[in-house]
Amino acid sequence: MTEKSEIAVAKFLEHTDSEAASFFEACVHCGECADACQFYLSSGAPKYTPTYKLRPMERAYKRDKAPFSSLKKMLGLAPSPVTEEELYEWETLVYDSCNMCGRCTLVCPMGIDIAGTIRKMREGYAAAGIVPEGLQRSAEFVEKTSSPMGVTIKALKAQIKHQEDATGIKIDVDKQGADYMAIFSSMEIMGYPEVLGAYAKLFKRAGLTWTISSVAYEATNVGVQIGSTPMAKEILQRVVDAAEALEVKHVISPECGHAYGAIRWAGPNMMGRQFKFEVVHIIELLDQLRREGKIPAGKKDSRRMTLHDPCQIVRRGGLLKEPRKLLDESCSDFIEMKGAGVTNFCCGGGGGVSANPRAEEVKTAAFSLKVEQLNGVKDLEAVVVPCGNCRTVFEDGLDAYDMNLEVIGLSELIAATLEEDPASQGTG
Amino acid sequence: MQVAISVVLVTILLVLAGSVTAQSVRPPGDAVNLEDSTTLGPSNALGNLSDSDIWRDFRGGDPVNIDDIIRGPIEGQMMTRSGQLWREIREDYIRKYAGWFPVGVIAILALFYLIRGKMRIKGGLSGKTIARFNLNQRVAHWFMASIFILLAISGLIILLGRPVILPLLGPQANAIMTSAAMQGHNLFGPLFVVALLWMFIKFIRGNFFQIVDFKWIFKLGGMFGGHVSSRQFNFGEKTWFWMVILIGLVMSATGIALEFPWLFEDLRILQASTILHAVGAIALISVSIGHIYIGTIGMEGSLDSMLKGEVDENWAKEHHDLWYEEVTGKSATEVTKEESGS
Amino acid sequence: MSYIEFVEGPLFLIAATIFVLGALWRVIGIIRIGRKKDISPPKGSEAIGFIRGNLRHFLPRGIFARRTWVHIVGGYGFHLGLLALILFAAPHIVFIDARLFAVPWPPLPRWGFIIAADIAFAGLIVLWVRRISDPVMRLISDWDDHIGSWLTFLVMFTGCLALQESHVFLRATHMLFVDIWLIYFPFSRLMHAFTFFLSRGNTGATYGRKGMSL
Repeated sequence: MTEKSEIAVAKFLEHTDSEAASFFEACVHCGECADACQFYLSSGAPKYTPTYKLRPMERAYKRDKAPFSSLKKMLGLAPSPVTEEELYEWETLVYDSCNMCGRCTLVCPMGIDIAGTIRKMREGYAAAGIVPEGLQRSAEFVEKTSSPMGVTIKALKAQIKHQEDATGIKIDVDKQGADYMAIFSSMEIMGYPEVLGAYAKLFKRAGLTWTISSVAYEATNVGVQIGSTPMAKEILQRVVDAAEALEVKHVISPECGHAYGAIRWAGPNMMGRQFKFEVVHIIELLDQLRREGKIPAGKKDSRRMTLHDPCQIVRRGGLLKEPRKLLDESCSDFIEMKGAGVTNFCCGGGGGVSANPRAEEVKTAAFSLKVEQLNGVKDLEAVVVPCGNCRTVFEDGLDAYDMNLEVIGLSELIAATLEEDPASQGTG
Repeated sequence: MQVAISVVLVTILLVLAGSVTAQSVRPPGDAVNLEDSTTLGPSNALGNLSDSDIWRDFRGGDPVNIDDIIRGPIEGQMMTRSGQLWREIREDYIRKYAGWFPVGVIAILALFYLIRGKMRIKGGLSGKTIARFNLNQRVAHWFMASIFILLAISGLIILLGRPVILPLLGPQANAIMTSAAMQGHNLFGPLFVVALLWMFIKFIRGNFFQIVDFKWIFKLGGMFGGHVSSRQFNFGEKTWFWMVILIGLVMSATGIALEFPWLFEDLRILQASTILHAVGAIALISVSIGHIYIGTIGMEGSLDSMLKGEVDENWAKEHHDLWYEEVTGKSATEVTKEESGS
Repeated sequence: MSYIEFVEGPLFLIAATIFVLGALWRVIGIIRIGRKKDISPPKGSEAIGFIRGNLRHFLPRGIFARRTWVHIVGGYGFHLGLLALILFAAPHIVFIDARLFAVPWPPLPRWGFIIAADIAFAGLIVLWVRRISDPVMRLISDWDDHIGSWLTFLVMFTGCLALQESHVFLRATHMLFVDIWLIYFPFSRLMHAFTFFLSRGNTGATYGRKGMSL
């Protein structure tokens, strides 16, 4: 056992609680999880079988923590210790070819949450320093600028100014006591800044006050993707401190996959206490405002559209109905792709894969499953992708497969199809 | 007076004969020993009936009329001639010689292996493979193989228990083994029908005979030198497929008849079933030994086709060149070089 | 002591004790590892999710049916057939009556037994045959999977060989394999029979808590 393998195994065992233990004890090696995984389906390689990805952690548990493990060790029947070589061998299985999308969890007859256990497994890898270079670089950027892409407050302010000019609505920064504080993914800020304008338009119409913090505008959490709880907590702390300092009532988690899970579900557990604000996902909020009649739908978008279900928002986040209801009301030609909803395919770039250049090839191959779904909708013109990371993956993927399709964010679409405000004087 | 006594005696005899079931071979307690009729007791105890008359009455029919001889048991009939015929066939032919067929096949194969050795792939393993059987085909095959082996072993124990096991291991062991074999055989029998249907569906495509197959067998499949062309399945494989399907159908039908004998009025059906079942079994078991030989130690690269579903390219080029060309679009004449450092 | 007396007597007692205590030790051991309490504000009920998770995973999801149907048909055939055999076969009822408790239900007629046994065997054989033919299962299977399958097969097989109920030797051999199976059980993957409700329940509870659809 080398130092690295010792560190990794210790972390594996630390994070194997009774839940993870029940999973390791229940797997009957049936292999059905393989057929749910886009990496297996696109390559046919058995090594991408989800339960196989968990092997090192499972072995560590069965050797050192499982009931009867001491007895089995005495008789020489326990699994051999996990070596550093094996950890490196499994690195691409744990990082490059797993989006933690959770399709495997759905299909498993024993109900094993393989995706959630990969998250726990990454803790061992992160502690031992065996992480993909791309993610390591993102972590370093976050250290310096709070953004994995190195987006500074200066850059953000520039984008805000552009959007204020475009919409004619002021966007407040560091507004004390606002109803809502919005955080964004760097992808949105740099790649799809129209979302800032969309928020402005929607919230003005709904009559709620909102703000962006100058010290905590980043929603993504590379700590969650690398699998390091200490890092994840540190990143989250920034947001929590800023929100509580500004005394906002709610924090809006944006159209981003893992960000919601990081702050809404993992957050209080990482911090060890409740927040002084409520966390709401932008889609949840838009749906709520729509039901309250505060953002009524106007002229519908007539393009033939379909919806991509970001894994961490729909399947792993519980927001299945909300995006659909909103789209039904705002579009006249909304068609679901085959397999949409809870069983929809991941874009292939989630869980840190898109930040990992080494995984480019397998990611593009995995996207072929999405392409198949898209091609199944005749004469498709646009696809609504309510996640900044998915959007980037879509744009790269559609390019790689020579497909011509518009990729739209949900907030922008809702803002664009908002009913004309009878009170406004033409400055919409 | 003597006529009256003899008539009464014969009548009693016939009544007693009628009251005993046809299957019983025990004579009634007070039966007259017919052989003693000329030396002991009153003369002419049988009255005016000859020996053959008595036998005819026991048989309940006309010895000349073949239908009468072999029709099933009826009320009052003591013996069925057809049963005797059946028993002779079973004991003197089937049980006596059946076991030697599989043994003979094993001996021939052992000789073949010693002389010819394992049939190697020309050009060696290339390391590159093409898909030959998909997962469903492999599962169907191994399912059938498991059921077949269970039925074959239990069937052979049932057939050869008395002649082989009894003298070797004693009556106690024979009783236990045969009882166990009977239960096992009857239980797995119905599964064979399911497995047969599944095999038929999975492998019928590509198994119809064509001209190229007759050229193949003309050259004895290249087993003694020379090259033969073949599509996906060669003459040998096709013959085995159709043997399994057709003889398997006979086995299924006869097997079901034997498991549910009360459904059949005519004993002839059951008698024929046991004979056909045994003959079919020996045929299938003997050829299956050859099939297993070729699929395992007899030929390099063949087991992989059914275990992993993939075969080496050189194996395909040598044994199924036309199939290789159909599937890959490449020529089968050049041997694929071994992959270096892949 | 004769063969049958041994396997139905002291060996059975030892085997049954190891089975019950071993299974309890293992399940309780898993639960005792414990979990940190989740303090994030819940959207739904964990308890209801636990139950729903257990029930939902009984049914395959349509979209995955292309590959899973063999497992579903074979798996359910095997498990349900075996359950019917264990609880409703006449010789088993006699055994349970004598040793455990008075059995209040009638036995299967012989033809029912044969059907249940055939379905159970077909399921088990198909699943094991798949394990050695399918590249995914070949990669992820270990010796525990094979021993578990074979041991279960041998228990069922020896049971059926004794069906004529004429030879004590055959019944004793069946009992021997049952005893071996009972001893092997708590240390092996066969324990999935008792752990599946924990894993399904845990995932279901998480789903329930987070308001995720099952």
